Amino acid sequence: MMREEHGNVAPALISKGEDVGEIRVDIPYQLITILETIYSWVPKGKIAVITRRCDEKALAELTKRNYIDEKRIIKIGLACSKEQIAKCRCSDPVPSKVDIGEPNEPVPKDDLSERLAKLSPEERLKFWVKQFRKCNKCFACTHNCPVCFCDDCVLEERTFVPEQSIPPGLSFHMIRSYHMIDKCIECGECERSCPAEIPLLTLRKMLAKDMKEVYGYVPGDPKAVSPLNTTLEGETLEDECDEC
Amino acid sequence: MSVKHVLTTCPYCGTGCNFFLQVADGRLVGVVPCKTDEISLGRLCIKGYNAHAFVQHPDRLKHPMIREGGQLKQVTWEQAMDRIVKEVTRIREKFGPDSIAVLASAKCTNEENYLIQKLARAALGTNNVDHCARLCHASTVSGLLYSFGSGAMTNTIPEFDNAECILITGSNTLEAHPMIGARMLRALDKGAKIIVVDPRETPLSRISHLSLHQRPGTDISWINGMIKIIIDEGLVNEEFVKQRTTAFDELKEVVKDYTAEKVEATTGIPREKLVEAARLYAKTEKAMIAYAMGITQHSNGTNLVKAMANLAMVTGHIGKESTGLNPLRGQCNVQGACDAGGLPNLFPGYQRVDDPESKAKFEKAWGVQLPGNPGLTLTCAMKEAMAGKLKAMIIFGENVMISDPDLGHLEEAIEELEFLAVVDIFPTETAQKAHVVLPAGCYAEKDGTFTSTDRAIRLLRKAVDPPGEARADWVIACDLGKRLGSPGFDFSSPAEVMAEMASLTPQYAGIDFGRIDKQVLRWPCPTKEHQGTRILHTQKFTKGLGVFAPVEHAPPMEEPSEEYPFILTTGRNLFQYHTGTMTRRSPKLEREAPEPYVEINGSDAKRLGINDGERVAVSSKRGSITLKARVTDRIILGSIFIPFHYAEAAANRLTNAALDPISNIPELKVCAAKVAKA
Amino acid sequence: MTDFRPTILAFCCNWCSYAGADLAGVSRLQMPPNVHVIRVMCSASVKPEYVIKALSQGIDGVLVLGCHIGDCHYMTGNHRTAKRMPLVQKVLKETGIDEKRMKLDWVSAAEGEKFQKVITDFVQDIQKLGPNPLREVKF
Repeated sequence: MMREEHGNVAPALISKGEDVGEIRVDIPYQLITILETIYSWVPKGKIAVITRRCDEKALAELTKRNYIDEKRIIKIGLACSKEQIAKCRCSDPVPSKVDIGEPNEPVPKDDLSERLAKLSPEERLKFWVKQFRKCNKCFACTHNCPVCFCDDCVLEERTFVPEQSIPPGLSFHMIRSYHMIDKCIECGECERSCPAEIPLLTLRKMLAKDMKEVYGYVPGDPKAVSPLNTTLEGETLEDECDEC
Repeated sequence: MSVKHVLTTCPYCGTGCNFFLQVADGRLVGVVPCKTDEISLGRLCIKGYNAHAFVQHPDRLKHPMIREGGQLKQVTWEQAMDRIVKEVTRIREKFGPDSIAVLASAKCTNEENYLIQKLARAALGTNNVDHCARLCHASTVSGLLYSFGSGAMTNTIPEFDNAECILITGSNTLEAHPMIGARMLRALDKGAKIIVVDPRETPLSRISHLSLHQRPGTDISWINGMIKIIIDEGLVNEEFVKQRTTAFDELKEVVKDYTAEKVEATTGIPREKLVEAARLYAKTEKAMIAYAMGITQHSNGTNLVKAMANLAMVTGHIGKESTGLNPLRGQCNVQGACDAGGLPNLFPGYQRVDDPESKAKFEKAWGVQLPGNPGLTLTCAMKEAMAGKLKAMIIFGENVMISDPDLGHLEEAIEELEFLAVVDIFPTETAQKAHVVLPAGCYAEKDGTFTSTDRAIRLLRKAVDPPGEARADWVIACDLGKRLGSPGFDFSSPAEVMAEMASLTPQYAGIDFGRIDKQVLRWPCPTKEHQGTRILHTQKFTKGLGVFAPVEHAPPMEEPSEEYPFILTTGRNLFQYHTGTMTRRSPKLEREAPEPYVEINGSDAKRLGINDGERVAVSSKRGSITLKARVTDRIILGSIFIPFHYAEAAANRLTNAALDPISNIPELKVCAAKVAKA
Repeated sequence: MTDFRPTILAFCCNWCSYAGADLAGVSRLQMPPNVHVIRVMCSASVKPEYVIKALSQGIDGVLVLGCHIGDCHYMTGNHRTAKRMPLVQKVLKETGIDEKRMKLDWVSAAEGEKFQKVITDFVQDIQKLGPNPLREVKF
């Protein structure tokens, strides 16, 4: 959860019996990312987490891959405010069970995606080149992402991203967007935490639309298997071989 | 099981970003940005995200050590402190207090720096106290004290967001101050014009409006050239100059010789580009200047800073929102270490040691007699050590064996010392030379304050205990003070130290831990009700009228010759920090920039038959190092660049220790060098 | 555009397409010389990153060739490839790189002539598209 501390809003894990303090739900910390880091340090018992709709979906992606045991998590549903929904251009803002806040209407469209879709490929490329040139390789987009969970990050492999390349080039964000294509739950944390304010959520939304068009798949469903892990006939494949 | 998130301040550059350290059962497991922090805005750079990585590294110093038979041996605190007191007392009695020097640290807190300078002045009786600001912004302090009366950033970091024109010189902002660079990017997105003047292409200059490449060491020439263009084209802010400044006629007289042709010949900057830059800067209302080591680290660094001040005053771009002259300070607390009096000529709050009134004030407060003569600067202390006049040094958290110029001679000087005590967190190259080594606590292990580059006083909050027997520097300084028999070292917390410092430092008078726990206050903050000062010099300059200094271009102390045809310049990269003691022990940072390299222009490399990635020897009159060549078009012809982070090929083996006569800053940015295949 | 000579990479799986390329070679079938063949064990070992990296560095076109569906030496390797590559094309498209610069096809060990045709057609397609605009972009 988040609470007021030192005049700021801080993430906090409270044990049973501890004073909760003043809870704040207006600042969207990515609690699932924080949960992932501390999960192994809390070996027993249940953990309650304030979950927005996107957090719920992130949890689904994590539990599906056995990173987190669903039975240990208690979800406290938070319905996002109108302002927050507008900021995230969120098309799916209401959690399955609302404990805090009032459900609000989704914002179904992202203006920038629509503008980019109308551009010629040359102009679109120019737009993204300009944006990616601002990248200063802080890795905030992976660091803060709730569904970035690989042990070895492909973006830290020298073959794909040479060391000390600043900016890391066009392929950095393209590779990342491919990697997230069957996991991204559009929480927007990458965009919020980008110091250069690259519209990463817009890029994610554009590719989520493509994923839905090509395979009818939307990440965040605890039961659905990613089409990248099935055969053309839809049978589930074993995990990918790391050797090749 | 316990998990907590501790809000604290980043230990890297001087931006002062706050973030949460994640602590699980006493282990630091990660960093979470603080979304409501007004400086970082919930964003961090790669160093910030890895700021937890070195803290619990196995290399940390955990026990005091004494050198015996050439080896450092583990001892008790009692034994180590006894040895320091015994040696220091002996040397002081035999050679006098001025045979001892103390180095404060820009990595220590304000409270610690306050105690360290008090230790030198009150307990040892010498003003020989200095720190690494001598190597970075000493010329800013002296130059801006002359021009404005205050040597700090005139405006604040958030103001970069709304600037309409930003002139950046001698600063690789996106790499050295990434979160300030990010604000410049935001200004750029909003349509601001960015002008970068640098011998290298930097990540920022590649996306700026105007990228000007000057020959290293020719800055006064282009600055004076710009001022002349501004005067000739009638772009001077006449009203500002008339009401707020003095000595404009002298400046006019000097710059009239800096014709665009002459400037082009000296600097290599095409005249039409300089004219464009001058017009852009002068005509834009919200125009900011940011500069760093590229301006200060010259043998005429003070004059260079004065030239920058002239430029800001001529156009009246000072004392208003999103304008001003903004030195970017490189260490987390280099501003604070200066504020707290870690300087040989100044008490806390820039009060002169040779001013009888100030001296009397501190004597009364501390209850001791104080020396009235300014002490030795860091750079002079090394020269005195070499000459055998300085006998002992106590160094807190500095790695002079990598950071200082002309390491060959420095090493000899350090070896000349009869006694050297080093307080640090890792076994640095300097600690290897010490007679006594004391293990200190790092930023995550103590309370205290850092003052960021824009004068904001930011709290550190203790997240974990120091490793082994290590103790926070403030505890060590208090203990030493008491053992040396001095009064005034009885403190039980950093908050108490700040209370004393605030009572003696006018700029900090309104600061206490309770207030800054909840809000960002920038000095001057003269009373407990005062809300701090964002913009300096709004109504008048700190010294009254701003003073134009007529300064002339002078060539660097060492120019390329037939034998040493290249100009060597040094600097940082994004992933490493200073002498690498912390970043090189952070796996993700070390992965990005694991080895030293020299950047050389493609045409120069071709002429010398050097391929990208090949090993080369780079030499100057003072030494030689071997490292990898990075062939690039991002540096101008005839210049080479080496980052100074790497002990295995320390750029400072080559650099020139020639000093600026006013500030004693060494000319780290220019020396003559040659390159050959290794 | 007549003097534009595209640089093209063709990833060929070891068991089918590379053998097909070999057959085309020994049969002395004429093919444009712009194609650099890279042999991989399976089309599934062509990581999407390779394709993206190649194109973002200015390579004009990338071909991924594997066994026909049902013939994969590793049973379902080419199913993975078939699933991935359309998404890689989407990533290219959304960032403004023509998705036709990447092509997936199946060539068996017996299909020397098909190999020739795939290569010839692809080179022609790329020639029509012109040079990869990213050749000129400096980061």
